[in-house]
Amino acid sequence: MTTTLLSRHAECAFWLARYLERAESMARILEAHSSFQRGRSDGQNWAWIIALYSDQENFAKKFPETSAKNVISYYVTQLDNPSSIQASIRSARENARALRPLISTDMWTQLNDFYNRILGLGEGDFSENRLSRSCDTIKRGCYAEIGVAESTLYRDESWPFFRLGLFIERADQTSRLLDVQFAQRAVGVATNIPEQQVALWNALLRSASAYHSFRRAHHRGLDPADVARFLIFDTRLPRSIAFCAGEIQRMVSQLRGEFRLRNAQRAFERVESFQADLQKAVRNEGLLDGLHGFNDWVQSELMQLTSELGTAFFGHLHETASPEIEPTPTPPPGISNGAQSQSSQSGQIQSQS
Amino acid sequence: MATVTVLRNPGMAATLDEYDAGSSYCELLGSPDNPNQELTKLWHRLQQMELTDLAARAKDAERELFMLGITFTVYSDRNAIDRILPFDVIPRVIPSKDWALIEAGIKQRVKALNLFIWDTYHDRHIFKDGTLPTDLVFGNVNFRKEMVDYDPPGGTYIHVAGTDIIRDENGRFLVLEDNSRTPSGVSYVVENRHLIQRAFPDLMEGFAIEPVSDYGLQLANKLGEVAPPVLSDAQIVLLSPGVFNSAYFEHIFLAREMGVPLVEGRDLFVENDRVFMKTVAGPTPVHVIYRRLNDDFLDPECFNKESMLGVPGLMRAVRAGNVTLANAVGTGIADDKAVYAYVPRIIRYYLDEEPILPNVETYICREPRALAYTLDNLDKLVVKPVGESGGYGICVGPKATKAEIDECRDRLKKDPSNYIAQPMINLSVCPTLVGDAVEPRHVDLRPFAVTGRETWVMPGGLTRVALPKGSIVVNSSQGGGTKDTWVLKGDGIARGNGR
Repeated sequence: MTTTLLSRHAECAFWLARYLERAESMARILEAHSSFQRGRSDGQNWAWIIALYSDQENFAKKFPETSAKNVISYYVTQLDNPSSIQASIRSARENARALRPLISTDMWTQLNDFYNRILGLGEGDFSENRLSRSCDTIKRGCYAEIGVAESTLYRDESWPFFRLGLFIERADQTSRLLDVQFAQRAVGVATNIPEQQVALWNALLRSASAYHSFRRAHHRGLDPADVARFLIFDTRLPRSIAFCAGEIQRMVSQLRGEFRLRNAQRAFERVESFQADLQKAVRNEGLLDGLHGFNDWVQSELMQLTSELGTAFFGHLHETASPEIEPTPTPPPGISNGAQSQSSQSGQIQSQS
Repeated sequence: MATVTVLRNPGMAATLDEYDAGSSYCELLGSPDNPNQELTKLWHRLQQMELTDLAARAKDAERELFMLGITFTVYSDRNAIDRILPFDVIPRVIPSKDWALIEAGIKQRVKALNLFIWDTYHDRHIFKDGTLPTDLVFGNVNFRKEMVDYDPPGGTYIHVAGTDIIRDENGRFLVLEDNSRTPSGVSYVVENRHLIQRAFPDLMEGFAIEPVSDYGLQLANKLGEVAPPVLSDAQIVLLSPGVFNSAYFEHIFLAREMGVPLVEGRDLFVENDRVFMKTVAGPTPVHVIYRRLNDDFLDPECFNKESMLGVPGLMRAVRAGNVTLANAVGTGIADDKAVYAYVPRIIRYYLDEEPILPNVETYICREPRALAYTLDNLDKLVVKPVGESGGYGICVGPKATKAEIDECRDRLKKDPSNYIAQPMINLSVCPTLVGDAVEPRHVDLRPFAVTGRETWVMPGGLTRVALPKGSIVVNSSQGGGTKDTWVLKGDGIARGNGR
C-alpha cells in the first residue's frame, strides 16, 4: 500500500492535537492556581505562571502589572499570545480545516461548535467567580474533540501523528507544571512554610487530575519528592512524563513498523534514548533538588524530537528547523545544569499561520 | 404572473389549487395543453402536506444546511455564510423520457466539443474549411499555445462538463451555456439529495429515483481511464487553490467522495517531467490531477508568473505524457459565449448529426447585422458579456429600466465583440416554498457529464431557482437557490423493495 498522507496533513494532525492539549493544560493550570489562591491573604501570586512559560518579556509588553486579571487575560483571551487558550483553539481549528478532507464530519463539527463557544467567551466569563466554570468548559471541549477523534479518525498514518502531538505536548506541560516551585522562586513568591508547600503540591496534583490517583498509590502523606516522582515516573498515570514517553515510543514504532516509514529511524532512536535516560533518572536520589534542570532536559528532548519529526516527515529543512535549539549534551538526568528554560511554548513552530 | 393564497390558518392543509404557473411551463404540472401525468402523485402528496409542517421542516433542513455550511466553508462566521446556497424543499422532477433526451444531448455536445478542441490544437480543419472564423478562437485569451499538438489520453479535454439547460414555455429544453473549464456545484446535488432523504423521506416514498451518490466513484473511475499508462494503480489527486477559495467546500467534498488526497500547489513538485506529491513517506508519483484551479495559475513557468498556487514545470510533465490534467488546459475556447453560438455548427461538422438539444437563438454582436438588430431590440433581448460568468454584467431588456438600457447600449457600442444577445426565454417554473406559501419560481438545470474514454452523465444535476419573484437570474451571486433534482426511473413508481 502506498502512503498518500501529505506531509502538510501529517503536520496539521500533529499540531491539531498539540493545540488542543495546550488549551486543556492552560485551563488546568489556571483552574488549579485559582483554587490554590482561594483563602490566601497574599493575593498577588499570579506572576509565577508567566515565569512557568518564560513569557516575562512578552507579558511586560502588554501589561504593566501581573494582576490576576491581566494574567488571566493574557493566557485566555489574548489572541496575539500564541499560547493563550483562545489562540490555541483557533490554531487547532485552522489545522483541522486544512485537514478537513481527512477528518470525520463529527470531528469538524464538534471543534467548530467548541471554537464558536470559546471565542464567544469574554472577560466576564473569566472573572474570579466564573473562572473555574469556564476552565471546565474548555477542558470538556478538548476532551470531547479528542474523544471524537478516538472514535472516528481513520487509523492511517495520520493517527500516530495526532497522538504524537498530543503526548509530546502533554509531557511538555507536565514538565512545566513540575517546575512550579522554580518559577515561584524566580518571582520571589516561593514559600518555605511546610503547610503551604503541601498545599502547593496538592494543587499541583489536582491540576494534573492526579490527586486521587496519587492517594491510591501513596496512602499517607504528601511528600514533594513522592509527588514529583509520581508525576514523572508512574506509567499508570496518563499525564506522567513516563506514560507520555511510552505512548510517543509506541507511535514512532508504529510509523516505523506498521507503516514502514524509513524516515522514522532517527526519531525512533531518539525516543529510545530518551526512555533509557528516564529510566536512569528513576534511581536518582537527588531528583527533587535538580528538578529544574531535569525539566529543562525533558523539554529540550521533546523539542528535538519535534524538530526530528519536522525534518523526517513534515518536509522541514534541516538547517531551518528551530535554529535556536542548541544540541544539548546527554544529561546526567536529574542534575541541574542551571541552563535557562527554553520555550517551545511560543508557538513559533506553528504549521499554519 | 401567478398568485397564490397565503394560508393564514396554520391547521389547514396545504392547498396548491391556487398555484398558477401563468404562461411559464411548470416542471411539476406541465402546461395546460400538455399536462405532466406522471407527476400527479407528487402533486397530490404536496397537496396533502400541511404547509406549516412543510415550512417547519424546511427550516430544519435549512439549519442543517447551514451547519453543513459551517462544516465546509472557510468563513464560518455567521455573517459570511451566504456562500451556501439557499435550499428549497420541493424537488424538481424529470421524467425518464425527458432525461433520456437531455442525457443524449449532453453526450453529443461533449463529444463534439472534445473533437473541436482536438482539431483546434491540431490540424484546424474547421477553420481551414471556413466553417468557423479563425479569430474567434486564435485571438481568444483562452487559447493556449502550450496545448498545440499535445495528445490528451482518449482525446478527452473536457473531463467534467456542466451544461446549463433551460426550458421554454413550450417545455422545450435549450442549452444556455457550456461550462468546460472547472464547473462547480456538483456537491450541492449530492448534499441536497442527502438532505431530502433525511428530512423528507415521506415525500420520496414510492418514487423510483435515480441515485446521485456515486458521483465520486464514477469520477474516480473515469479519471482512471485517462491516466498515463502506469504499472500500478494510477494516483489521482484533487488540486485546490486552498482554504480561501470560495469552492473549497466542494474540493473537500470531492476529495472525500473519491478518496484521493486534496493537494495544494505546494504539496506537488516536478522532477524529470514527472509530478510528485510530498508525503510522509517521501515523494510519491502522481498521475492524474483533477484541478480546480484556473489555467492561469497552474504553472508559473508557462502562465501567470506570479502564481504561488500552481506547480512549476507542470505543463512539461503534461506534454511529456506523464500526468493527465482534468480538465485539460485550454478548454476555455469551448465555453466562450461567442463560441457557444457556433456549437450547433460544430456538432454538425464533426458528428454529421443534428443537435439533440438546440441552443437558445443567439445574436453575435461582433457581426454587424446582429449588432444592428440587437441595438434596435434592446428592450426585448438579454445582452451578455462573453467574458463574464456568474450572471454579472447581464442586461435583461424586458425587465430593465430605461437608464439601464441606455447604459447597455453605450457598452455595446464601445466593444460590440464582447457581447452576445438572446431573446428573453420565459424560463420554466417549479413550485417553490416562499415564506408560508407555494409559488412558481424560475429554474434552470446544470447536469454534470464526466468523460474518460466514454461519457457518463450524472442523472439529475443542479437545479438552480431564482428566488426573487419574477427573477430569471438563477446565479447564486444574484439570489439563486437550489433544489433537489429527481430523475425518475422508468415510470417513476417504486416496486418491491427497490428504491
